[in-house]
Amino acid sequence: MEFDFSPIVDNWRFFANGLGVTLALSAASAVASLLAGLAIALLRLYGPAWLRPLWVFYIDSMRAIPVLVVLVWMYFAFPVLASVSIPPFWAALVALTLHIAAYAAEVVRAGIESVRPGQTRAALALGMSRAQLLRKVVLPQAIVRMLPAFGSILTLAIKDTAIATVIAVPELMHSAETVAGQTYRPAEIFTCVMLAYFCILFPVTRGIDRLYQRLAHLGRS
Amino acid sequence: MNLDWSVVWTHRQALTHGALLTIGLTVLTMLLAVPGGIVLAMMRLSHQPLLSRASLAFVEFFRNLPLVLVIYWVFYVLPMTTDVQLSPMSTAIVALVLNVSAYNAETFRAGINSIRKGQLEAALAMGMSRHQAMAKVVIPQAARRVLPVLASTWVSLFKDTSLVSVIAVADLAYSAMQVRAQTFRVLEMLTAMAVMYWLMGYPQAKLVDWIHRKYGVKE
Repeated sequence: MEFDFSPIVDNWRFFANGLGVTLALSAASAVASLLAGLAIALLRLYGPAWLRPLWVFYIDSMRAIPVLVVLVWMYFAFPVLASVSIPPFWAALVALTLHIAAYAAEVVRAGIESVRPGQTRAALALGMSRAQLLRKVVLPQAIVRMLPAFGSILTLAIKDTAIATVIAVPELMHSAETVAGQTYRPAEIFTCVMLAYFCILFPVTRGIDRLYQRLAHLGRS
Repeated sequence: MNLDWSVVWTHRQALTHGALLTIGLTVLTMLLAVPGGIVLAMMRLSHQPLLSRASLAFVEFFRNLPLVLVIYWVFYVLPMTTDVQLSPMSTAIVALVLNVSAYNAETFRAGINSIRKGQLEAALAMGMSRHQAMAKVVIPQAARRVLPVLASTWVSLFKDTSLVSVIAVADLAYSAMQVRAQTFRVLEMLTAMAVMYWLMGYPQAKLVDWIHRKYGVKE
C-alpha cells in the first residue's frame, strides 16, 4: 500500500477555503447559539409564566432530535413549506443555531441557578431592580461558572459543522469528500482532514480549560 | 402547496425497519462501548505510564473529532490500510464504539476519581485488600455518579446513530431520505422522520432528566 499526498498539496487552496467556511460557520453558530440560549434561559426563568412550557418543550425537543434531521429538514423541507430558497450556508447556520441554542439555554439556566438564592434575596433587599440584580450580581458569577460548558458548546459547534456536508455546505468535510471523490485518494485525504480537525478542536478544549483555571476564582462566592 | 401525507403510511414498513435499526444500533454500540470505556478507564488509572498515556491519547483523539469524519474514515481508510473488509453496518458500529468508548472512559474515570481518596485510604487502613476496597467502597458510590452521565451519553448516541446514514446504513434517517428521493414528497417524509425521532427521543430525554434528579450528586 503506497500513499500519495499530492491531491492535498495540489488542492490546498480548495482545502483552505473549506477550512475558512468551517471556522466561519462554527464561530457564527456558536455566537448565535450563545446569544439565543441566553435569551431563552432568561425568558424561561424570568419571562411570562404562560410561555414557560413552550421554552421547555423547545429545549427538550431539540435534545431529542438529531442535528442531522434538523439540518436536512431546514434545507430541504422548510423551503417547500415557506416557498423560499435558502443557500446551504444559511440553512446550516439556522439549523445549527436552533439545535445548539437549546443546549446553551440549559447551560445558562444551570449557571444562573448555581448562584445561591440568598444572594438574589440580598440584592432585592438592597433595593436593586431585577435587571440590576441580573447584571451586577447573578450574571458576573454565573458567566464564569458557565465557561467550561461554553467551551463544550464551542467544540460541539465545530464538530456539528462537519455534518453540514450532507446539505453541501462547502466546509472542510465537504472539501474532503469532493477531492476524495475526484482523486480516489480517500485514505490520505480523510486522514489529513482528521488531523486538521483534531488540531482545531484540541487547542480549543485545552484553551477553555486553561482560561477557566485562571478565572475560576472570579466565580466563587 | 399540496401535501400528500399518505406517502408516510404507504412506506411505513421502510420507516419502522429504519427505526428498529436505529434502536438496535444504539443498544449494540452501548453494549460494546461500556466495557470499552471500563477498559480504557482502568488503563488510564493504572500505574503503567505506557498504558495510561495510550488511553489518554485514544480518549483525547476521539473526543476531539467530528463523528461523521470518524465514520468516513473507518469506511474508506480501514479497508485500504488493513485489508479488513467491513460491511457498512459493521463500519458504523466500529466508528460509534470508538467514539462512545472515549466518552465512557472519561465518565468512568471521573466517577472513580470523584470518590475522595480518604475513603480508599480508610478502607485500606481497616485492613481491606485493594480489591475489596474498590469493590465495596469506591465502585458502589462511583456507580451512582456514573449512571446519570451514561444515560446522557445514551441519548447523544441515539441521536448520533443518524450519522451512519452517510455510509448507506438503512437506519431511520437513511430510509426516510430514500423514500423522499423516490417519491419527491420532501416535506412529508422529512417531517415524518423528525416526528419519529422526536417520538423516540423525547421520552428518553425526559427519562434522563429523571435519572439525573434521582441519582445526580448535589454538592
